[in-house]
Amino acid sequence: MDSSCPVSYPFPWAPAPDIPEHWRTMRENPLLHVTLPSGDPAVLVTRYKDVRQLFADERLSRNTSRYPASRISANNDLFGDPEIDNDPPRYLEERSVVMRAFSARRIEALRPVVKQITQELMDAMEAGPKPAELMEAYAYPLPILVICHMLGVPPEDRAKFRSLIDGYLSVTRLPDDEVERCRVQYWDYLSELIAAKRAEPGDDLISELIRVSQEEPGKLTPYQLQHWVKTLLIAGYVTTASQIGTSMAVLLHRPEVAEDLKANLELVPSAVEELLRFQIMGTSLGSLRYALEDIELLDGTVIPKGATVMLSVESNMDDDVFEEPLTLDIRRQDNHHMTFGAGIHFCAGAALARMELQEATDGLLRRFPNLRLAVAGEELERPVGGFLAGYARIPVKW
Amino acid sequence: MGALRVTADSSTCVTSSLCVYRLAQVFDQDEQGRVVVLDENPPEGLRRELLRAARGCPTGSIRVEEAGEGVGEGVDE
Ligand code: SF4
Repeated sequence: MDSSCPVSYPFPWAPAPDIPEHWRTMRENPLLHVTLPSGDPAVLVTRYKDVRQLFADERLSRNTSRYPASRISANNDLFGDPEIDNDPPRYLEERSVVMRAFSARRIEALRPVVKQITQELMDAMEAGPKPAELMEAYAYPLPILVICHMLGVPPEDRAKFRSLIDGYLSVTRLPDDEVERCRVQYWDYLSELIAAKRAEPGDDLISELIRVSQEEPGKLTPYQLQHWVKTLLIAGYVTTASQIGTSMAVLLHRPEVAEDLKANLELVPSAVEELLRFQIMGTSLGSLRYALEDIELLDGTVIPKGATVMLSVESNMDDDVFEEPLTLDIRRQDNHHMTFGAGIHFCAGAALARMELQEATDGLLRRFPNLRLAVAGEELERPVGGFLAGYARIPVKW
Repeated sequence: MGALRVTADSSTCVTSSLCVYRLAQVFDQDEQGRVVVLDENPPEGLRRELLRAARGCPTGSIRVEEAGEGVGEGVDE
């Protein structure tokens, strides 16, 4: 690729559940000039070692909705909020309040709940028509039910709650005014939920955050609390659902690997990690940053001050760091992939997502040892546009 | 080879839990979810996994030292 002539980003997907062509070749240049869906320019840092370092570099600001930074798309700003400071020290104070709910111990305490949800979803799948559609039957409901459990969303509100988030994220590709309506309603619903928890605290994350923000005033204002709840929800839902779907597609598209895993279920954690490295549902758009100063890369190339910068998740395919990166190796050991980022913005929900992915994968392979794609991998369709691009439908049989 | 010494900086820890899942006999977390080192002088047999934990930490918060010299920290060489 010529580094001086901008290419459109995101790059095209591979026709099958596989690594796209550009991801294999893009590291010839440490810095690629790209055009975002909005038409705005950005640079993409392509090499793993640069990416890893820059994730920890405070000269890259995360406040991309405040600076004159490039926009991802003209009318779609999912996470940005000009009133929220995403840089240290403010960001770290807020994050530390939230993160207590995501420690290993707390995540492990949720594991039986997640297991139970997977069992119920699979019961319904088994009783339903074949082929089943994995996204609707399993991948979407699982993370949303887990989030509802964590936040203490009452069972009777869950359907409404999901339709609002789906609309907000435009999962169902609604017209703009509908999406806007969902956003307002969703924000209002969260306000009501938080108010209800304030009046009557329960054993859930919102009640806990309220308590902590009362005990340590100033660390988390009510607005920030609501912003975090909103962000955790959005970040934890479609990402996890898309990864459950695409990772099963990647696996089932490689029957020898799927057989190997079924025969060695103790490998599920390392397989999940490898499927995270081999992820084909997300792009680097989520890593958008803004250069506060000139920044030099390892080979001397300079990112100019003022540039909008993306740190490449495609660096998961860097053969300088990963041996045979294009091989899906469920026994891979030194698998420090960039799917969850690194540095202080390391994905807050990573441990939760991992645990859900482990239970989702283990559950499916145990219950349906004959599970396979009901269509050729090349026929799986991606939604048009959108922030995340997992498969819209994944028909499976067993 | 001297004894291994492990330290972790809880002020930069972002609760990824990667170290705890890798080596629960060495790493734990406090109430706030921040890293705590349970065993500062782990047995030699854990060397490889300790270095992996140090390299894997997203914020480079873990140090593994030997006889006063660093043998690995949270950056990729
Ligand atoms: S790996 Fe690093 S960031 Fe993650 S819990 Fe351990 S010390 Fe904290």
